Amino acid sequence: MRGTPAARLAALALATGLLASGCGLESSFALPFEVGPGSIRPVPELAGVDVAVGSKDFTENQVLGYLAEVALVAAGADVRDMTNIQGSNSARQALITGDIDLSWDYTGTGWISYLGNTDPIQGERAQYEAVRDADLARNGLAWLDYSAVNNTYAFAVTRSFAEANGLRTTSDMAELIRRDPAKGVFCLETEFVSRNDGFPGVARAYGFDAGAVQVKTFGTGTIYTATADGLCNFGEVFTTDGRILALDLVVLEDDEKFFPQYNAAVVLRDEFDRAHPRVREVLAPIVAKLDNDTIRELNAEVDVDGRDPAVVARDWLVEEGFVSVPAP
Amino acid sequence: MTAAVAQVRRAERLRLLVQPIAVLVLVGGVLAWAFGQDLDSIERQSINAPALASATRDHLVISFAVTALVLVVAVPLGVLLTRRWARRAAPVFLGIATIGQASPAIGILVLFFLVSGLDGLWAAVLPIAFYTLLPVLRNTVVGLQGVDPALVDAGRGIGMSSATVLRRIELPLAVPLILAGLRTALVHAVGVATLAVFVNGGGLGLLIDTGYKLARVTVLITGAVLAVGLALLVDWLGAVAEAHLGPKGLR
Repeated sequence: MRGTPAARLAALALATGLLASGCGLESSFALPFEVGPGSIRPVPELAGVDVAVGSKDFTENQVLGYLAEVALVAAGADVRDMTNIQGSNSARQALITGDIDLSWDYTGTGWISYLGNTDPIQGERAQYEAVRDADLARNGLAWLDYSAVNNTYAFAVTRSFAEANGLRTTSDMAELIRRDPAKGVFCLETEFVSRNDGFPGVARAYGFDAGAVQVKTFGTGTIYTATADGLCNFGEVFTTDGRILALDLVVLEDDEKFFPQYNAAVVLRDEFDRAHPRVREVLAPIVAKLDNDTIRELNAEVDVDGRDPAVVARDWLVEEGFVSVPAP
Repeated sequence: MTAAVAQVRRAERLRLLVQPIAVLVLVGGVLAWAFGQDLDSIERQSINAPALASATRDHLVISFAVTALVLVVAVPLGVLLTRRWARRAAPVFLGIATIGQASPAIGILVLFFLVSGLDGLWAAVLPIAFYTLLPVLRNTVVGLQGVDPALVDAGRGIGMSSATVLRRIELPLAVPLILAGLRTALVHAVGVATLAVFVNGGGLGLLIDTGYKLARVTVLITGAVLAVGLALLVDWLGAVAEAHLGPKGLR
């Protein structure tokens, strides 16, 4: 195409303008849908308040982040979506420096990774209280009450194996191995094999001989399939992983409470929490409603069915009556 | 023999001598360093003589099983693909081998595991062999294609059967290239065998993965340096084989 210099200049300006506006030199931080009130009513104190919600880079933490975002939008806040921050430490740093105001973290992660302790504290509540008190005193972060979502280690078995051997808890597993050591075939990841609070500790706590069982070492992701395929009888899994549902695995209850507790809780900067005390009130009923079964299903909807984490979060909140979808 | 060629030969001979010594110094050094550290209980789980020996043995077994498999598959396949009636198929097989080499090794390993349901040694060996097939296959094909057709004609002219021509003329002349391919494949195999740990294959990847995940640098470095030592060692074995198995007249 050839034109006068002026026409070409105009075309160039037009193209640049389109680029700047259309493709967004300024990225959009808003949720891609409208949210109406449900049992969460608009809160006058939150109208127009800017809340930047962050999350780490894995499915569950993103879903949790969107749950908070959707709820706060329904309450009338101006939410900025800052989910999917790469790496736990970056997400944590963003919260401390004020790039984000709110994110979800796990009590065990806070205690061991951020606060630098080596030994977990027994019991969900005790672990939560320890991390809450220490993080407030040292870093000025406020941990809201913890949810029943506890993303920790556990052993999983196939449903048929659980039924055939009457397995419900990890004690049942230890009992079976003591009776019939040949059934003690484990799929573990490298890290878990050599950690004190990993396999050697489990064997000690539940009273079976770690040397007498067969251990197969796998990458984290492959253990779920290996267990479902019967390559081993017991697979080391994370309790809230969506693949547990997809592969129909049964998670054995940690009845001796051996594993560290990783309860999910909302964390805010203390000054933000004090300035906007209604935020924690809006989120409290959602925190109370969440548990491992729920989050596992939500994780599976994202990881197995390939749905968008924001939509999964909104749909659950609608289903539970917390928010509504406004008529178009 | 020209002076330049003689110089290369001398350098090659010196290398045959120096390389194993370098490996010994490297491995001995890292072991002395690792055992000399103040190890915590997690590090002691990985850095102890039986654990290191078993990881190294697993690693060697995987590497050599891969090599054996690649030899058994790639050399005959390369021979077939250079026969007059099969030449048209050569690009297809070379293409497949190239895909194998170009794909991420960890992807092939895990996909193979998911599809086959195998675990342990074979779950590691089969995909790694697929991954390392290309250098041997290509070098076999190129080596055989590079044989002067006049020599083949001469062989046929003095009454050799085509099988005899292959055995007495073509293969001996192609051996240097085949061995060079094999050497590349072996070093690849030793490197990729560190991924066997993801499918219960064991090996030095155990140390590397454990060291990385638990932030135990001593464990990580020990595993990595042992793997490097092994790679240098098998490379040296390959060089020795090249020096002694090539056609006499060309040595």
